[in-house]
Amino acid sequence: MNDDRKRIEEARQVWEEKLLHPRVKRFRLSQSPTRFYTPLDRGEDRFLEKVGFPGWYPFTSGNNPFDFWRAYAADAAKLGFRPDWGGAGRVGKYGGFGTAADYRDYLLRMQSMGRKGGPNIAFDLVTQCGYDSDSPYAEGEVGRVGVAVDSFRDFQVIYEAYTGDLNIDRVPSNYTINAPAAVIIAMYAALAKKRGVPLEVLEGTPQNDILKEFIARGTYIFPPAPSMRLFRDICVFCTKYMPKLNICSIGGYHIREAGATRVQDLAFSMANGKAYIEAALEGGLAIDEFAPQMTFNAFGGSMEIYQEIALQRAARRMWARMLKERFGAENPRSMMIRQPITAHIGCSSTTLQRPLNNLARAVVGGMAAGMSGGIPGAYPPFDEPLGLGHSLEAVQLQIDATRIMIYEAKVADVADPWAGSYFMESLTDETETAALEEMEKIEDMGGAVEAVSYMAGAVARSAYERQKKIENQEEFVVGVNCFTGETEMEVTVNRMMEATYDPGLMRTAEERQKAALEQLKRERNDRAVSNSLKMLEKKAEDVGENVMPAVCECVENEATLQEICDVLRGVFGQAEPIKL
Amino acid sequence: MGETNKIRVLIAKPGLDGHERGARVVAFGLRDAGFEVIYTGLRQTPDQIVNAAIQEDVNVVGLSILSGAHLSLTRKVMEGLRARNADDIMLIVGGIIPADDLPALREIGVSGVFTAGTAIPEIAEFIRRHIAGP
Repeated sequence: MNDDRKRIEEARQVWEEKLLHPRVKRFRLSQSPTRFYTPLDRGEDRFLEKVGFPGWYPFTSGNNPFDFWRAYAADAAKLGFRPDWGGAGRVGKYGGFGTAADYRDYLLRMQSMGRKGGPNIAFDLVTQCGYDSDSPYAEGEVGRVGVAVDSFRDFQVIYEAYTGDLNIDRVPSNYTINAPAAVIIAMYAALAKKRGVPLEVLEGTPQNDILKEFIARGTYIFPPAPSMRLFRDICVFCTKYMPKLNICSIGGYHIREAGATRVQDLAFSMANGKAYIEAALEGGLAIDEFAPQMTFNAFGGSMEIYQEIALQRAARRMWARMLKERFGAENPRSMMIRQPITAHIGCSSTTLQRPLNNLARAVVGGMAAGMSGGIPGAYPPFDEPLGLGHSLEAVQLQIDATRIMIYEAKVADVADPWAGSYFMESLTDETETAALEEMEKIEDMGGAVEAVSYMAGAVARSAYERQKKIENQEEFVVGVNCFTGETEMEVTVNRMMEATYDPGLMRTAEERQKAALEQLKRERNDRAVSNSLKMLEKKAEDVGENVMPAVCECVENEATLQEICDVLRGVFGQAEPIKL
Repeated sequence: MGETNKIRVLIAKPGLDGHERGARVVAFGLRDAGFEVIYTGLRQTPDQIVNAAIQEDVNVVGLSILSGAHLSLTRKVMEGLRARNADDIMLIVGGIIPADDLPALREIGVSGVFTAGTAIPEIAEFIRRHIAGP
C-alpha cells in the first residue's frame, strides 16, 4: 500500500509538471480552476469505520439498506399514485390558514380529493409567538401564515376532519411550532383523552426546536435557559406517556436559510441536538429511552451539489458518533439522523428574476438529495419567490421532475453512489472536521444555550458575506448578477389551483376568530381556568417540577394559549430581540 | 456631507414575522456603505418603530416584511409618522412584496420598494439620491 501511495505521489508530480502547469500557463491563470482527487486525498482507507454498509454504524451511507419508498416505487408508478414531496408516507401536505373551521373544511376538501395524510399543521405567527387572536400583537396576522389556535376548542375543531379511518390512533400529526410546543402537545394529549385513545399509541412530530428559533427563525418567547427547561419537561413527559411521539424535529435547514454557511448549518444543528440530549439526561432519562424519538427536519439548502452530498454523509456520521461515543447510546435507532427530507435547495436559492430557472435549480437539489440517501425531490416549485403561492404548472413540474429523476434517470437506484470516491470521502472528512471545530468553539462558550447570540450573529454575518460575494461577482447567480439581459421574458402563471386558500375567508378570519374567542371566554368555567393557571405558575416556579401535567390541565379547562404562555412569561421572563 | 454628518437609517422588522436575514444584510450593507444604521430587532409594533425613528432622529425608515402584512403595517407606520409631524422621514420597504401591491404602497407614501435580489448599492444610491443630507 505504502509503495502504491509513493508511486501515485510521484506520478502526480510528473502529471502536474508535464500536463497541468503548462495548461494553467497557457490560459494565463494563477492556478488550476479544477481539482483532481487521488487515493492520496482520501487518507487512510478505513471503510468499515468511516463509511460502513447502509443501515450500519456510522450510517454514513444511509440509515437503511434501502428507503421505504423505494419498496413500492414501481407499484406507485403503475397506480399513478401521487406522493407529495416530503410526504410520501402518512403525513399530509403542510398547510394551515384562517380559523380552525376554515382549515378543517379545507382538510375535508383535500380528503375528498384523495389526500388522506395526517394533519401537518402550520400555525399562524400569533400562535407561534404565544399570543391569542385578540392580542394587539395579533392585528393583521391572524390566520395568515397558518391556522389560528387560541384554545383547545380550536384544536378540536381542526380534528373534526380526523375521525373514523383517520382517527388519531391511525394517522400521525405534525406541528410546526416551537416556543409554545408544550401547549400544543398538551392539546393533542387532551384530545386523545376525550376520544378515548390511549396516549401510548399517538404518533406525531412537534417541531419543538427552540434553539434554532433564537439563531434563525425568530419565533421565540422565553429566554434560552427556561426554554430548555420546557424542552426537558416535554421530553420527559412524552417519553413517559407518549413514547411513539417524536420529541423534536431539529432543523439545520432553517439556520442555512437565515444565511449560515454549510459548516455553520451542520455545527449549530448538532450543537443544538447535543443541548437537547443534555437537557433530557438532566431530566433523569437514559439516552436510549428518548434518543430514538429525536428527529431532524433537514440540513442543507445550497446549490453546491457535491458539498451538499458530503454534508448529508458527514451529518449522519457525526450524529452517530456523538450518540455512541459521547452519550453511550447502544440502540442503533438512537444514532440515526431520522429525517423525512434529505437535501434540496433552499427557498433562498431561488430567484425572483427569471423564475422558470428555479426549476433547473430544484432539479440540481433533487439530484443531490437522491445521491445522498433521500427522495430526489425537486423542491420548491419555480414560482416560490413570487410570494403568491404555488401555481398549477409550477407544482405539476415540480412533481414530475421528481418522478423523472426517480423513474427515468434512476437517481435513487444505488445507495450512497459516491461511497469510496476519493473526492467525496475527502470532502466528507473535511466537512466533518470543520463542523467539529466549530462545535468545539460553541462547547468552549458553554454549549449551545450559552452560545445562541454568538450563533445568531455568526449567521447574520455569513448572510452578509454571501451577499457581498454576489455583488462583487465572486459568486455567480444566473440572471441576477451575470447573464442579465436588457429585455426579459414575461412569465405568466396560472393560479387556478385546488390548494389555494380562499381569499375571502382569509380576509374575515381575524374577525371570526376573535368572536369565537370572546364566546369561549363567556362560556368557560372561569374558576377552573384561574385555578389551573395558578397551579401552572406554582409548578413553573419550581425548576425541579415538570410543568406538563399542569399545562395539560390548563388546556382541558380551556385556558387560552396566551393565558398559559403569559403565566410562563411571568415566571420565565421574555427573550429580548437579538440585535446586531 | 462630512463624516460626522452621516445619513441615519432605521431598519425595522414590524409584526411577528421572524425572518430577519434580509433586514440584517441590508443593515450591515448600509453601514459599510457609510450610513449610520440602527436595527430594531424583531417584533416591533408600528408605534415602537415610529418612536425609535423620532428618538434616533433618522432620515430613513426601512421596513422589512415577508409575512404578507406589508400593506397594513406600512400604512400604520406612515400614519404614526404623520401624526408626530415626522413624515419628512423617508419610508422604504423590503421583503416579499407582490408587484400588484406596488401602487398601493406608493399611495401610502412609500418612496421605494426593494424586493429579493436587490443589490445593496442600489438601495444606498436610492437613499443618497432622495436625501439631500442633514
